Amino acid sequence: MTQLVLNGRAVTAPADPQLLLGLWLRDSQGLTGLKLACDQGVCGACTVLVNDQPMGACHLFVWQVEGQRVETIESLGSPTRLHPLQQAFHDHGALQCGFCTPGMILAALALLRVNPHPTREEVQAALSGNLCRCTGYRPIIDAVLAAAEAMAESPP
Amino acid sequence: MSHPNQLETVGVPVAQVGAMARVLGEQPYPCDLAAAGLLHAAVLRSPHAHARIRSISTELAAQQPGVAVVATAADLDGPHTRFGVRVRDQPVLASGVVRHVGEPVAAIAAATPQQALAALAFIQVEYEVLAPVPTIAAALAADAPALFPEASATSLPVYGPGAAACAEPSPNILWEFTLRDPTFDAVWAGAAQVFEDRYSFARASHYHLEPFACLARWSGEGLSIDTCNQDPFLLRQDLARIFALPEHRVRVAAHATGAGFGAKSYCKLEPLAALLARLARRPVRLVSSFDEEMLSVTQHGAEIVVRTALSRDGAPLAREMLIDLDGGAYADASALVADKAGYRGFGPYRWQAVACRVRVVRTTTAPAGSYRGFGGTQTSWAGERQIDSLCRRLALDPIAWRRAHLLRVGEAWWPGEAGMDSDLSGGLAAVVAALDPPAAPHAARPRGVGVAIGLKDGGGEARPANAAVRLTADGTAIVQAGVVEIGQGATTALAQVAAERLGLPLDRVTVAAVDTDLSPHDLGTHASSGMAVTAAAVAAAADDVVAQLRALAGRAEAVVHAGTVEGEPVASLLKRRFGPYGADVIGRATVQAPRSEGLPLRSQRLYWMPSWAAAEVEVDPLTGQVRVLQLVVAGDPGTAVNVLGCIGQVEGAAVQGLGQALFEHLRVDSAGQPLNATPWSYRAPRATDLPPVFRTLILESGLGPGPFGAKGIGESGNLAIPAAIANAIEAATGAALTSLPLTPEAVFRALHVDS
Repeated sequence: MTQLVLNGRAVTAPADPQLLLGLWLRDSQGLTGLKLACDQGVCGACTVLVNDQPMGACHLFVWQVEGQRVETIESLGSPTRLHPLQQAFHDHGALQCGFCTPGMILAALALLRVNPHPTREEVQAALSGNLCRCTGYRPIIDAVLAAAEAMAESPP
Repeated sequence: MSHPNQLETVGVPVAQVGAMARVLGEQPYPCDLAAAGLLHAAVLRSPHAHARIRSISTELAAQQPGVAVVATAADLDGPHTRFGVRVRDQPVLASGVVRHVGEPVAAIAAATPQQALAALAFIQVEYEVLAPVPTIAAALAADAPALFPEASATSLPVYGPGAAACAEPSPNILWEFTLRDPTFDAVWAGAAQVFEDRYSFARASHYHLEPFACLARWSGEGLSIDTCNQDPFLLRQDLARIFALPEHRVRVAAHATGAGFGAKSYCKLEPLAALLARLARRPVRLVSSFDEEMLSVTQHGAEIVVRTALSRDGAPLAREMLIDLDGGAYADASALVADKAGYRGFGPYRWQAVACRVRVVRTTTAPAGSYRGFGGTQTSWAGERQIDSLCRRLALDPIAWRRAHLLRVGEAWWPGEAGMDSDLSGGLAAVVAALDPPAAPHAARPRGVGVAIGLKDGGGEARPANAAVRLTADGTAIVQAGVVEIGQGATTALAQVAAERLGLPLDRVTVAAVDTDLSPHDLGTHASSGMAVTAAAVAAAADDVVAQLRALAGRAEAVVHAGTVEGEPVASLLKRRFGPYGADVIGRATVQAPRSEGLPLRSQRLYWMPSWAAAEVEVDPLTGQVRVLQLVVAGDPGTAVNVLGCIGQVEGAAVQGLGQALFEHLRVDSAGQPLNATPWSYRAPRATDLPPVFRTLILESGLGPGPFGAKGIGESGNLAIPAAIANAIEAATGAALTSLPLTPEAVFRALHVDS
C-alpha cells in the first residue's frame, strides 16, 4: 500500500508497482481535471504538485509519491471562490480549449509559492514545460503576473 | 433588435463562456466520458509505409485477459465503408494493403486500456513490404508504384466558367484542380518582365493537446457516438452509409474538445469505435495516444512554382501558381484544400489575370487534411516570399510595392467575385507602425524587417445553417446551433449575438451542446465561418423570438429589452398567455448565402480573411540562428464581437505560424518512416519562444457579412508569419530562403553554401 496526502486528505493507494499516478488519480479518485495529453512527460497537461514541486503525473508511479503531499486542480478554488490564479486565467483570456489549463495553473502556483513576485521572463521559464497550442502564451503569462499581484494584496 | 441602436453585449470584451469550468478542471472532454460496461479500444497500426497484408491472425489476441473482441477488415469492408471528402478511398481498417506507417490494421476492445494495449502484441500480421513512396517526387516518378490501381468512389462538384477538377487523373494523383482566366495568355504575353520561383512548404503536425477520443454505443437499432468531431452532421452521413443505417438511427453528440486546428474535422476513427461496439455489444471508448494522432492526419506539405508577370514599371499583371500538395496516403479533405489553395492563392494584389493548377499527390505518408489555413498557409508562404524576392531583384521597396498594388476595398481579381472587404494597405501600415524603432545595427549579427500579407477566403459560401433560440418561461435563453466549441470561442460569440438581439444580459443566455438528434443542422465549424454564417442564423432566430414576443404582447412595435416586453417581465407575459407554468418561445431561422453561377466556384467568397505580419529578425551568420526580435500581427474581424476572443485567435495562430516558420516539420526518411512523429521529437512552440516584442492588432473594417458586420478571424494569425520572417532574413542578409522551416542549417546553407 502507498500512503499519501492527496488534496489535504490522507489516502491509501494499492501497492501495484506499475500503477501510474495520473491514471490512478483520474480513474480511481475521479480527479479528471488532470489531463493526459502527450502521456510522455513533454506537454505538462498532467501537472500535479508533489510537495510543492510541479511534476508530470503521467510518468510517475504511485509508489514514487509515498508519504508526500499531492495537489491537483480540484484542491484550488470553487465556483464561488476561485483561487486568484483561476480568477486571473478566467479574466485574461488565458485559455481557449482549456485542456492545458489545470496543469498550467498548477505549474504557475508552484512558481508563485517560491517566487511570489516573478518577472515576465521567470514566468516564461517556469511555464516552459507546459504546452499550449491555442493561446500563444501571452495571456497566460499576463494572467500569472496579475495573479501574483492579487495574491500579494490578499493571499488566498 | 429591440431598442437601442447602441450595442450592449456585442463588442464588449468578455471572458469566454465556459472559462469557469475550465479553470476549475471541471470541463468534461470526450476522453473523460464513461459508461456502464465500458470497454476500451486499442489499435494495431502498420509499422510499414507500404506493404501488402498477407495474413492476419487474431485467435491468440482474442484469448488474452479482458479482451472482448478483435476486429479486422474482415469485419467491415467494401466500397460503402470507405470514407474521404469527394474521394472515398480510406478504409476503416486496412484492407489488403497498408499505405502509411500508423495506418489502423486491427483493433481490440478490452475491459481496461492496459489489457487492450497488451493484447495487441498477440495479433500476428504477415506483411509483404512494398516500395515506399515517401515524397511528391517519388510519387510522380515514371516508375513509381501505383498506390491505388483501382478507382475510388468519387463525387465531383459542379464548377463554373474558368474552373475544372478531376478526381484520380492518375493512380498517384488524388485530385487536380485548375483555374484559368480566359485572358491569361494575352495578359501574360504583354508582360515586360516575368519571374518564376519554386518554394517548398514543410508539413506541420496539428499537435492539439487532446488526442482523438470518442465513445460509441449501440442500442436496439441505432448507433450513438459521443466524440470530439467538429463536423457532427457530416460525420452522421458517413456513419449512416458505412453501417447502412438511416440518419435518424445515428446520433452524434459533439463535445467541447481539447483543440484540433483541423485534425478533428470530417470522419476519423468514429467508425472503428462503432465497429468494435457493435461486435462487442457493449459501449467502447477509443482514445488515441498523441503518437498515434501525429500519424493520423497532418498538414499538407507542398512544392509550389510561382510565375509572376509585371509591367515595365513593376505593376502586377498576371500570376500563375503550380501547386503540388503532399496529400499522404488517403483523401481526407485534400480535394477541398486543393480547390481552395488554388482559387485564392494568388495574393491580394491587382492581378489582371490569374491561373493555377493544383495537384494532390498521394504518398505513403500520414494522410493530410484540414489544417488551420486550409491551403492558404502554403500559398501565402510562396506568393509573399516571391513578392520580396522580385522587389529585391528590381531594387524596389517591398512595403512600398505592396502598398501601391494591394487590392482596394471593393476590388476583386476575378470579375464578379466578392470585392476586398478589408483595408489591406491600412493594415500593412499599421503593423509596420506598431514595430518598435529598430535597434542600432549589430556589427556581427545583421538585422532586418520583413512584412507579408497572407490571404484566404472565409468559408461558408452557399453553406446552409439552421439555428434556434429558445426563450424559457423565466425569460432566459438557450441558443441551439450546430457549431462545436473547439476553443475557437464560438460559444461565447453566439451567446453574445443572441443576447444582443434579445436585449438580454449575457449571463441569461447559454449555448446548448451539439447533438445531431437535437441541434439544428449545420455543416460544422469550418473555415472560420461560424461568425459569418451560423451567427447570422442565430441572430435571425433571436429576431424570431422577439417577433413572437411582440405578437404575444399584441404590439408590433413593442420594446423588448432587459427581459421585459413593453415594461412587462417576459416571465409574467408568458404566464399571462400560457398559464401558471408559462411556456418556451422558440425562434428559428435558416440562412444560406446565394449562389452565383457565373463564377468559377459558383458562389462569391463570403468574405476575405487577410493576415498582416511584420517581423524584425537578427541573424547570426556563424550559426545560421535566427532570432525574431519583434513580431506584430493583425487580423480583421469585421466587427469584434468579443475582442478578447479575437486577440486570442490571432495571437494563438501567430505562435503556430512562428513554429511553422522556424522549426516545425514532420519528417519522414526515404523508407517513409516518420523521423519525429512523437511529442518528444517534434518541436512545438513553448512559452520561452515568444519574441521579446510581440503585438497583436485587431483592425475592424465593419465590412463582414455576419451580424453587426462581423466576419471570421480564426485563421488570419498564421498565414503571413513564415513569409514575413523569411522576408526579414532576406532584408537582413540577402539570403533568399525558399524552403521551410527556417532552421539554422537552412539559413547557414543559404548564407554560405548556396550563394
